[in-house]
Amino acid sequence: MRKNNCEVVRRELDELMIGEAWSTAATEHLRGCASCREFHEQQTKLRQIVGSLGTIEAPADFDFRLRARLAQSNGSPVYWTFARRGLAVAAMVIVFATGALVVRNVLNQPTGVDQVARQPEVPQPAKPEEPKPLLKGENKQAPAVAGIVDDAPPVVRKNRRLPAEYRKPLTSVDFSSERAELINGAGGVSRAFPIDASLQAIRVSLDDGRGNAKTISVPTISFGSQRIVQSGNQFAPKRDW
Amino acid sequence: MNTLTTIDELGFAPALQQDVLEDTTSDHALLEATRSGDHDAFAELVGRYRNQITSYIYRMTNDYDGAVDLAQETFVRVYRAADRYQRSYAFSTYIYRIATNLAISELRKRKRRKLVSLTGFFQPTDGGEAKELNPPDGRPLQDLELVDTERRNAVQRAIGTLPEKYRAPLILRDVDGRSYDEIAKILETSEGTVKSRISRARGFLREKMRAYL
Repeated sequence: MRKNNCEVVRRELDELMIGEAWSTAATEHLRGCASCREFHEQQTKLRQIVGSLGTIEAPADFDFRLRARLAQSNGSPVYWTFARRGLAVAAMVIVFATGALVVRNVLNQPTGVDQVARQPEVPQPAKPEEPKPLLKGENKQAPAVAGIVDDAPPVVRKNRRLPAEYRKPLTSVDFSSERAELINGAGGVSRAFPIDASLQAIRVSLDDGRGNAKTISVPTISFGSQRIVQSGNQFAPKRDW
Repeated sequence: MNTLTTIDELGFAPALQQDVLEDTTSDHALLEATRSGDHDAFAELVGRYRNQITSYIYRMTNDYDGAVDLAQETFVRVYRAADRYQRSYAFSTYIYRIATNLAISELRKRKRRKLVSLTGFFQPTDGGEAKELNPPDGRPLQDLELVDTERRNAVQRAIGTLPEKYRAPLILRDVDGRSYDEIAKILETSEGTVKSRISRARGFLREKMRAYL
């Protein structure tokens, strides 16, 4: 109880200005409490010392220097205000553009664990080439078409991040408007071409870019004359028509 | 019935003139005149506050040249922002707020720079509170003036070791003699906070100045 009284009285004395009259309760308390009296004396002395610091005068050339400073900075605030705003806007634009690029790249990354290996390059629409005859026995490479792979099973890589060139989004190529390649050439070139190519099934593997691959098998195509020749005359040249 | 011909005959002309005079020389009026391009009015404002502001910043920073520089910066800011000044606060509150912000900003800059001062050699490196130096010489001094000077220097150094949040309210209250209400407005905080900080600041000072009390 007494301690509470001391705190209340000390707070009251602390908040008053020096020389200001305090309450009768505080007066009575100070009369009976030596520690509060000592506190009050020390506090008053301290405040007198701090108060005696007084006011420091500004130098005599204060006004002159201030006038020079104002003259020097005259007009510049407006310029700097606009310059700062311009810089801030430019910085914001750069930050937003960078952020948008980062977000776009993150969204375009494949999320599947298993990735089917694809051809690294997306082919451009093939230009119609000049008819090129195929010589007998020539090992002609099939033109590279996206998604078309040979009979070998697709290579599956697990938990591997594909290089950047593989992470390009899929593009489809429409060949419908282009002419098919002419095999039957003219001008002293052999007209022979492997007829048994059609006996092989054509398999087309498609990858949707999320790790799902589909394989479409096209059944064997044969021509009537081919059937006749092959079934009717076993000794006929097999590969030439 | 007598007819009054001049306003002087009403009997309150002197009072009216005095009101007008006070109004034209108030801080608000001087700033209004400054806004409309009256340089003399601004010079009058500077004349009224230059010593107070310089002194206040000096007590805060303990560096006279720096204080003069910051006091000038305070007036430059007042001049530039004269168009945006609002009369909701007293002009003294407004200018002290600018000065306080500049002083605190300077103190923070110094803290970052870690300026080496005379007292800096004895400050703890772990970021703790600086200890008061120059313990008083026990021998009696002959000249009372010297004693006072020494005591004032000691208290100025002790104030310089206070955290800035305690320093500003203590100076405004005990050196400048401002009211709690005005200090709260200058520091943009509540009156209760101001009282509490002043009380704590005095507690710190009492400990540091025990030898002088």
